[in-house]
Amino acid sequence: MSNNKGTLEIRNLSKSFIVDNSPLQILNNINLTVTSGSFVSIVGSSGCGKTTLLRIILGLENHYDGEALMDGKQIVGPGTNRGIVFQDHRLLPWLTVGENVAFGLDKLNRKEKKLLVDEHLQLVGLIGFESVYPSQLSGGMAQRVAIARALANKPEMLLLDEPLGALDALTRMYMQKELERLWQLEKITMIMVTHDIEEAIYLSDKVVIMSSRPGIIKQIIDVSSSRPRDRASSEFMQIKAEILEEFHLGTEYTFAYAI
Amino acid sequence: MKKLLISKKTKGILGAIAFPIVFIAFWQLFILAGFPSARFLPSPYKVLQKFVILFSDPTYSHNIAVSLQRVMIGFFIGTLAGFIFGLLMGLSKTAEKIFAPFFHAVRQVPMIGWIPLIIMLFGMNELPRVLIISVAAFYPITLNTFSGVRNVPREYLELASVYGYKGLTLIRKIIIPAALPSIATGISLGLAMSWSVLMVAEIFIQTAFGIGTQIQRGRDRFDIALVIAGIITVGVLGYSMTLLVQKIVKAVERGQVISADK
Repeated sequence: MSNNKGTLEIRNLSKSFIVDNSPLQILNNINLTVTSGSFVSIVGSSGCGKTTLLRIILGLENHYDGEALMDGKQIVGPGTNRGIVFQDHRLLPWLTVGENVAFGLDKLNRKEKKLLVDEHLQLVGLIGFESVYPSQLSGGMAQRVAIARALANKPEMLLLDEPLGALDALTRMYMQKELERLWQLEKITMIMVTHDIEEAIYLSDKVVIMSSRPGIIKQIIDVSSSRPRDRASSEFMQIKAEILEEFHLGTEYTFAYAI
Repeated sequence: MKKLLISKKTKGILGAIAFPIVFIAFWQLFILAGFPSARFLPSPYKVLQKFVILFSDPTYSHNIAVSLQRVMIGFFIGTLAGFIFGLLMGLSKTAEKIFAPFFHAVRQVPMIGWIPLIIMLFGMNELPRVLIISVAAFYPITLNTFSGVRNVPREYLELASVYGYKGLTLIRKIIIPAALPSIATGISLGLAMSWSVLMVAEIFIQTAFGIGTQIQRGRDRFDIALVIAGIITVGVLGYSMTLLVQKIVKAVERGQVISADK
């Protein structure tokens, strides 16, 4: 957004859970700055605390040390300035697609609701599906409805918790393009947690690499290639290799010399 | 390939009446065989004759109407109370701790165990009859509402908290809809319980009208055909009500999860 909303500033953030009466540190001294309108991905193996970090930003985890500032204000709970898309679409099965999109618009009247619902179903390409129930949708469609629901509230920041993790490979690539289109159209900040390194490089301005026990930020890699990005380009491959190296998964070129 | 010209529905009906026909045939054979123990058992034809008489007798339809009304009132009270109580215990762990042990202990006492006390306290009135029926419905509805509320997926509650839903709105928009299939199961069990204690209520707390009364009257007059006709009436009416409730429950569930193959 041109008004510089949707910024995030995390300073010296640590978080522990109590497990069997002793504290277990999940996040250790996290520092991260997310500028207005940028796309940031957080990658890391399971248990590195990336989802916990996202839940803190969302406002679902309130007890932490350090600072988490959204537009300069300490995050103390969920708010309409942040939207969320979970890995499971989390659409309510007893509501139609239209009613699900309107879920966060409780305070508006019917006319205003309908306007926003139509606008956002149009945005995700699901106009005409208002009165369909979630169980009648495919995984990709359901996730698009979940995105529409999150965007209908006009958040300044969209949080995505492995949003495409449950989709098949082709739908996933298609949805990555969709996410990029929505991000460019809405001009809001997006923070995505993902397992998929290619997905992170394809979409992000910044890839945050975390490692586990306790979760720390190991490296932040800027991706400045022009969009749309070519997954087969040498630049893309190079960034991918660099990230894999961070996870100690880089290729040792033994076979390259075997010929 | 030849196609059978019998529709699925016809097949279903044929299947459903096949066994009763066999049953009645055996009943008739049993009587024709002349076992000494069967000497009081009326033939199926005699029971049919009794039904013919009953259908033209306004007391019979009045008995049915009174019984249905009695069940409906008791069931309605029990449903309402069970829903509120189950919701309360489901929402509040404190309420559960206070009420659950008492509730589970009380519900171990079969309805028939309460009859002497209830008669001594209230006399042979309509109130204790309706009370018994409502208590019978109350138990399953409380239990199922409670478990439905407790088992609302954490994910839905989280979603609600992201969108700032609290208190009554949370209950109305998330908890009750999510618990609805379980509540519906409780309601259909509750109706079955109400119907089955109706006989207890009518036979043990004597009353002028009701199907139970008819059965009791048949016993007093040693009119076994009348007793059997009463039993068949209870079975058929109860089964029809169960089918009706199952339809309603299915409709509720369809609202919840529309099957993908539809």
